[in-house]
Amino acid sequence: MNGTTTVSLVGVGGQGILLAAAILAETAAAEGLDVKASEVKGMAQRGGSVLSTVRFGSKVWSPVARHAEVVIATEALEGHRALGMLAPRGTLVCAVTTRIMPGSVLRHEDAYPDDLAEAAAASGVRLLAVDAEGLAREAGTLRAVNVALLGAASTALPFSQESWRRGLAAAVPAKILEVNVRAFALGRESVGEEEVQ
Amino acid sequence: MEHTVFFSGNEAIAHGAARAGARFACGYPGTPSTEILETAARLEGVHAEWCINEKVALETAVGASLAGVRSLVTMKHVGLNVAADPFMTLSLTGVNAGLVVVSADDPGMHSSQNEQDNRNYARFAKIPMLEPSDSQEAYDFLAEAFALSEEFDTPVLLRTTTRVSHGRGRVVPRVPVQLEPREYARDISKYVMVPQYARVRSRLVLERLQALRRRSEQSSLNVLEAGTADFGIIASGVAYTYAREAFPKAWSLKLGMSNPLPYAKIARLYEQVSRVAVVEELDPFIEEQVRALGLPVIGKEAIAADGELDQDAVARALEPFVTRKAPRRRRPVFPPAPHITSPPEPLAGLPVRPPVLCPGCTHRSVYTAMRRHKLAPMGDIGCYTLGALPPLLALDSCLCMGSSIGMMAGFNKALGRKGAAAVIGDSTFFHSGITALIDAYYNEAPGLVMVLDNRTTAMTGHQGHPGTGVRPDRTQGPAVDIQRLCEGIGVRCATVDASDYGALDAAIGAEVDLVGLGVIVALAPCVLTAPEKAGEILVDDARCNLCGLCLEIGCPAIAPADATVEITDACTGCALCVEVCRRGALVCAGVEDGA
Repeated sequence: MNGTTTVSLVGVGGQGILLAAAILAETAAAEGLDVKASEVKGMAQRGGSVLSTVRFGSKVWSPVARHAEVVIATEALEGHRALGMLAPRGTLVCAVTTRIMPGSVLRHEDAYPDDLAEAAAASGVRLLAVDAEGLAREAGTLRAVNVALLGAASTALPFSQESWRRGLAAAVPAKILEVNVRAFALGRESVGEEEVQ
Repeated sequence: MEHTVFFSGNEAIAHGAARAGARFACGYPGTPSTEILETAARLEGVHAEWCINEKVALETAVGASLAGVRSLVTMKHVGLNVAADPFMTLSLTGVNAGLVVVSADDPGMHSSQNEQDNRNYARFAKIPMLEPSDSQEAYDFLAEAFALSEEFDTPVLLRTTTRVSHGRGRVVPRVPVQLEPREYARDISKYVMVPQYARVRSRLVLERLQALRRRSEQSSLNVLEAGTADFGIIASGVAYTYAREAFPKAWSLKLGMSNPLPYAKIARLYEQVSRVAVVEELDPFIEEQVRALGLPVIGKEAIAADGELDQDAVARALEPFVTRKAPRRRRPVFPPAPHITSPPEPLAGLPVRPPVLCPGCTHRSVYTAMRRHKLAPMGDIGCYTLGALPPLLALDSCLCMGSSIGMMAGFNKALGRKGAAAVIGDSTFFHSGITALIDAYYNEAPGLVMVLDNRTTAMTGHQGHPGTGVRPDRTQGPAVDIQRLCEGIGVRCATVDASDYGALDAAIGAEVDLVGLGVIVALAPCVLTAPEKAGEILVDDARCNLCGLCLEIGCPAIAPADATVEITDACTGCALCVEVCRRGALVCAGVEDGA
C-alpha cells in the first residue's frame, strides 16, 4: 500500500465513536500496517460534536489530517458537517436515520438539515446511506449503531474479513463482542453489490 | 525643600498602591514580600487580609477586581508557583478594576529554598512586567501598573528583589489618583474560560502583547540615558543601580517595563555605542531576547548567573570586556509579529452542537433553583461548567480548578455583601476548594458555596477522589465526608438530595436569608453512573400552552412540537421539567414496567 489513508469518525458524544475507532485501528494493525489514531476527549464528549481520526499505511507520520478518504458518521447532521473534510471522491458512510437534535434545533432557532444526499452529490462525495439504527436493533442493541456503520464502511476499506474479525475481538469487550459481530455483519451485508467499490 | 518620607521598597509599594486607589490587598507572607501587606493593613481605606496561600490570595484579588476595586496581591517568588494556575488563565480573562501581582524574588537565597527568576512568568503569561529599582520607583510604579492593567485589560506583574523590597530610600509622595467607578458587568465570553471562549481570548492575548510592546517603546519607564563612553548597559531593577555606579560614563537603557521589551529602544542604544552589556541577576532574561535580535552583547559569560550582584561584582565582571576590541556593528532584525490563527469557519447553514449537560443531570436542578433565588455564582471546572452556556447561562466565571470560592470571597468582600455565590464539584472541592473555604471562614467572607457532589470525577470519565474513596483499580478505600469536613472547619453546612427539587429549592432559599458563609452539599450520583430510568414523563396536551418554561432548563430530552412539547427517548425521568411547569402539563408516571 502506497501513501497514507485517513478515516475520520464523527458523531455525538456518547455514540461510541472511540470504540469504532479502536476497532478500525486494530483491524489496520492486523493487516500489518502502521496505524496512528487521535481523538479529543473531555468536555467535548458531553453531547457535543466529536471527531476521531484513524490513519494507516506502510508508515504513518502525523496523527491528524484535515481531509479524509472515508468519513464514518454515526449521526446525520454530523455527517453533513463532515462533507467539508472529505477528500475529492471520498466516501461518506452515514447513519442517515440517526438524528440527534442539537439544543438550537430543539428550541427552533435552527433547522435540522434534510438535504444530505444533494449536498453530498454537490460536493462530489459518494454517500453510503445506512439505516444503522435499524441494523443495530436487528442485531440486538441500539448501542451497536457505531459497529453496524463500521460494517457498512468496511466495504470501502481495503481490509480482509479475517482482519476485521481480529480487530473486533481485540477492541470490543468480550461481554458485548457477539452482538457487535452480528451488527458488523448486518452492516456489511446492507451495502449492495453495486455500491461496493 | 520637598516633603519626603523614608520608605523601604515594600512600604513604598503599599503606599503607592493606596495612592493609586487600591482598596483591596491580600497575600501570603514570604520573605522578602511580607511587609507590603503589613504596611497596607495600616493604611486608611485599604482592606488587607492574609490568605491561606498564594493561589487563594490571587483568586480572592480577582474577585475583588471583578467587583470593581483595584486590588494588590503580594507573595514571594516561590509563592507564584502556588498561584500559577489562576495566574496563567487570568492573562486570558483580564480584569475589571486594575490588578497587580507583586512577586518579590530572592537572588542569593537569603531566606528561600531556590532563587528562580520570576521575570520568566511575565513572558510565560504574556503580561506586562514592571521592575522598580528603588523605593521612589516602587511607589510611583504602582500607579503605572494599575493604569496599565485597566488600559490593556491584563494583570500586571510587579517584580522586586530583596534589595528593592528591603532597601530603603527617600520617597516623594504624590497626589492620590482619582478613579472612575468600574461597575461589574457580567460577560461569560470574557470570564468563563471554557474552550470555545478561551480560544478567542488567546488570540486577543497575542494581539495585546503586540500593543504592549508598542507601549513599552513609548513608555517613560524605559529610558535611554546618554553617556560619554563607547559602552552601553541594558538593565532593570536593582541591577541598574549597580551598573550606573560601576560605569558612570556609560550609556544606559533603563528598563522599568521589562516585559515586553522595547526592541526599537534597544536598537537606538546600539546606534550610540559599539559595546553593550546586559546587567541582570539570575537568568539571561533580557540578554537572550537581545541576542535574538541578532545583536552582539556581553552577558552571562561575564555576569554571574546565580546569586546577587553589586557594583563591584559588575565592575570586575565587565572591565575586561569594556577594553576589548568592539565587535563589528550589526543591524538588529526585529522578530515579525506572530501569525495568529483565524477562527474556523463553520459550514454555512448547519446548526452547531456544543456540549451540554446530560439529560437527567442534577446540576441542571441546582442551576434552576439558584436562578429562582437570583444567585449569580462564580463557577469552577468540571461538567457543571457547561451550565455557563445558553440556555442556562448559570455561571459568571470559570478561571481554574478551585477558583470559585476565593473569587466569591473577594467579590463579596469588595462589595460588602453576598453579591456572588460559588459552585464547585466534589472532586474540584477536594482538589483545591477546601483551602479556599478555610480562607473564606478565616477572613469572614459572606456567601453561599454549593458543592455539587455527584460522587465522582465525572467530566474526565468517572475517576475516584477522596470523597468517594474509590481507587484507580475501582477498589474502595477510606472516604472523606464533605459535610463533616465543613463543620470541622466551623462552616455552616447542610446536605440535600439534589434529585429532590423541592428540598433543593428550600435549602437554597433558607441559606439565602442567612448572614455569613454557608455550604450546601447537593448530593446525587452522576446520572451516567445510574442509568436506570427514574420515571416516565407524560405531556398533557390540553394543559400545555408552550410557554417555554421547561425549555429554559436546557434539557436535551425536551423538544417543542406543534402546540405542545415532546419528551424524547433521551429522557431519564428526573422530573425537573415537571417541577418548573406552572400549568401541571407535565406528569411523572413512574417507569413503564412498574419497577
